[in-house]
Amino acid sequence: MKKYWAIFKTQVINSLAYPTEIMWRSMAILIFLWVFTFLWRVAFDNSSTTILAGLTLHDTLWYLMLAETIELSRPRFANTIAQSVKDGSIAYLLCKPYDFLLYQLSVNAGDTVFRLILTFIFGSALIWRMVGAPPDIWGWPLTLIAFSFGWLINFCLTALIGLAAFVVEEVTPFTWIYQKLIFILGGMMIPIDFYPPWLQNISKALPFSYVMYGPARLFVSPDLERFATLLAGQLAWVAVLGVLVSVAYRRGLRRLAINGG
Amino acid sequence: MEGKKNSVRRELKFLFAIWKANLQSAMEYRVAFISQILGMMLNNAFYFLFWVIFFERFKEVRGWGLQDMFLVFGITATSFGVTAFLFGNAFSLSEVIAQGRLDYYLSMPRPVLLHAVSARSIPSGMGDLIYGLTSYLLSGYFSWSGLGRFAVGVTLASVTFASFLIIVHSLTFWLGNASALARLLMNAILTFALYPITLFNGPAKFLLFTIVPAALMGSVPASLARDLTWQNLGGLSLGAAILLGLAMVVFRLGLRRYESGSAIQIEV
Amino acid sequence: MTVIQISNLRKTFTTKRKAAGLGGSLRSIFRPERRVTEAVRGITFGLQAGERLGLIGPNGAGKSTTIKMLTGILFPTDGEASVLGYIPWKERRQLAYHIGTVFGQRPQLWYHLPAIDTFQLFGKIYELEDKAIKQRIGFLAEAFEIEDLLETPVRKLSLGQRMRCEIAASLIHRPKLLLLDEPSIGLDVVAKQRIRDTIRRMNEVEGVSVLLTSHDAGDLEALCKRVIIINHGQIVYQDRVSNLKRHYLTTKEVGVRYAQRIPGNFAMENVNILKVGKYGVKLGFNTSEIPADVVLARLAEKGDLVDITISDPSLEEVIANIYQEVEEAQA
Repeated sequence: MKKYWAIFKTQVINSLAYPTEIMWRSMAILIFLWVFTFLWRVAFDNSSTTILAGLTLHDTLWYLMLAETIELSRPRFANTIAQSVKDGSIAYLLCKPYDFLLYQLSVNAGDTVFRLILTFIFGSALIWRMVGAPPDIWGWPLTLIAFSFGWLINFCLTALIGLAAFVVEEVTPFTWIYQKLIFILGGMMIPIDFYPPWLQNISKALPFSYVMYGPARLFVSPDLERFATLLAGQLAWVAVLGVLVSVAYRRGLRRLAINGG
Repeated sequence: MEGKKNSVRRELKFLFAIWKANLQSAMEYRVAFISQILGMMLNNAFYFLFWVIFFERFKEVRGWGLQDMFLVFGITATSFGVTAFLFGNAFSLSEVIAQGRLDYYLSMPRPVLLHAVSARSIPSGMGDLIYGLTSYLLSGYFSWSGLGRFAVGVTLASVTFASFLIIVHSLTFWLGNASALARLLMNAILTFALYPITLFNGPAKFLLFTIVPAALMGSVPASLARDLTWQNLGGLSLGAAILLGLAMVVFRLGLRRYESGSAIQIEV
Repeated sequence: MTVIQISNLRKTFTTKRKAAGLGGSLRSIFRPERRVTEAVRGITFGLQAGERLGLIGPNGAGKSTTIKMLTGILFPTDGEASVLGYIPWKERRQLAYHIGTVFGQRPQLWYHLPAIDTFQLFGKIYELEDKAIKQRIGFLAEAFEIEDLLETPVRKLSLGQRMRCEIAASLIHRPKLLLLDEPSIGLDVVAKQRIRDTIRRMNEVEGVSVLLTSHDAGDLEALCKRVIIINHGQIVYQDRVSNLKRHYLTTKEVGVRYAQRIPGNFAMENVNILKVGKYGVKLGFNTSEIPADVVLARLAEKGDLVDITISDPSLEEVIANIYQEVEEAQA
């Protein structure tokens, strides 16, 4: 376990090697949130009420801020795995004295830390300016926990896509589609509360909403009951996906051993 | 000294040759090529789904509705696809400069910028192109005469987009490696272009016509496709021409700096 | 006819040094550390038409900087150059039609395509007529023995085959000057020999002048008549390859083998013992310090000689010695 903590720490420091790069990347949230404020202001203006599906403009924008933060700090390594499967270098990685997947977990977690912090700071600054103070601070730790588990679910799903490289030649299209699935079924650009009921049901049955909608909604309306339900769902998904990932990984390795890469 | 027309013809011949090589390269991996095209089309369709859901709920925003969204997606996606497929290296220009790969183009008797940006193609751009065309066809603004206006709009929007990319990537000549900044600005222009222009007030609108000319990549060519007025054709042509000129000037200045050797930043 | 003539070429770089990490980046914004590097300090040489010239020097010596100035990629800080009658940095594009370049480390062939497709593309880049391109490809394919390789994607070729195609590609447009940078890097001995032979043949048959930079002394020995040694931005030696070996160093190595087990002590004044075995020994000495016949006589005294080998040091050793001598002279 200690070695993964070391890997994590190293990557955190590593991610600061080019500070301007991380700064520009974290500013991406400003672009999306800026247009969102225009869109939703007009949307709420058009409607006769100030509350839509239980959310005010203030809530909606803070929701979107957190949703974007989650999107911009998710682990991206599907292509890294796919590449090393394609060129066979994964065989060498397997000889190392650490577990490949846990290594990816530590490295990506390390990468996420500063990106998350900076994105959150930039995003909150903008939304605070636009619609006022953020939701209650006592909800923040709860959100952080929910965020972490959502991140884990995201990690498992991304790993599965990467591991698909054992079966499919091109994994990139799957990464694009995955991202869009999170957009729609995770409620990245609209809170799921605004969806037609049938779509809401589909979203809530799938893991994507536990990655994004869950934590973001919790952030806006912190509530112990909501937290508990969310966490239960997240843990269930982490368990299921975790198993799927190990199975896929082991199957892939066996394929490798048989076919020789 | 040959005439201008002759040199344009020579460069076109060259462009066709390099586009051919790029296409051949993509076709070497047919399966990957097709899956990239289909994947990108699906990708864009899902992204568009957001607007379908939104307009289902909110009907329209200050006069802009779902049909207009189809149209502007048509314009922007097609322009993006054209740029990505034909001038794909424009997206990596920062890295080309930072890694000294311009030397290769400098040692050849073709215009450096043109050669550099066309040297590589992004195969998924074809997916954006096809998707854009489809989106236009579904927009309700399609007509056979309108197709001509659409083509003009797409051409000018592509020029705008490519020029913008060249300008932001050329900052690498001075900043060392501007690829992260360039990516940010590219996200900006694409995101802004795909939003209803009616949403934006004065100062914001000004931004979208100048510093990040998203309006020239989205709403203005879209209104051109809807119908031709001297305003939208003139404005768009002028904007595209200015940006193209600016791109060539900035690149040339940067290239001079590169050739003097001071563009290299040594990292300890 | 002079193909290249450069005089007193100088290049000084002023670069900003930026340390990695957050502190380094902040520092470089507020107090940028500028460093002045004199990469090339007054180089003068010429290349005649049809000649094969080698440029050798350690990393950072200024070789690539000089080449870049010759091709017009870089402006010099001072000095003059004329390549095929053009001033490279002023008339770069016109010059480009007449030079070919091969960089061992930066391939020009499109990786995923068969070589012939790149050849066609180059033909178009250099504005050749379709018919001329076809003829030229046929000629080069035969000369380089790559006829069977033309239709194979480059990524499937071996390194040696790839290099042959690379060099062929650089000659599509019949350049008058060919610039090669590390063309045989990474190749096995047989492949190296083939490349060298082909370059030499092109030079002899088509008269293309060759300027070669390399770390491989074997390239120089096999290909070049004349060699220029550069170090620290200056020319430290310039002569024919044959003279280089003959005159610069008077070191000899001699190896002997005896019929019986040899006595222990071989120590002699002015002689280095390189290797001692049960039946033989290898010695090195300088003929200016002790004449060869004295050494041989002493060796013959020690026992019955069965075998003698006398050799010159390799070109690598010669060059290494030159570097060392220049370093010592400058210290």
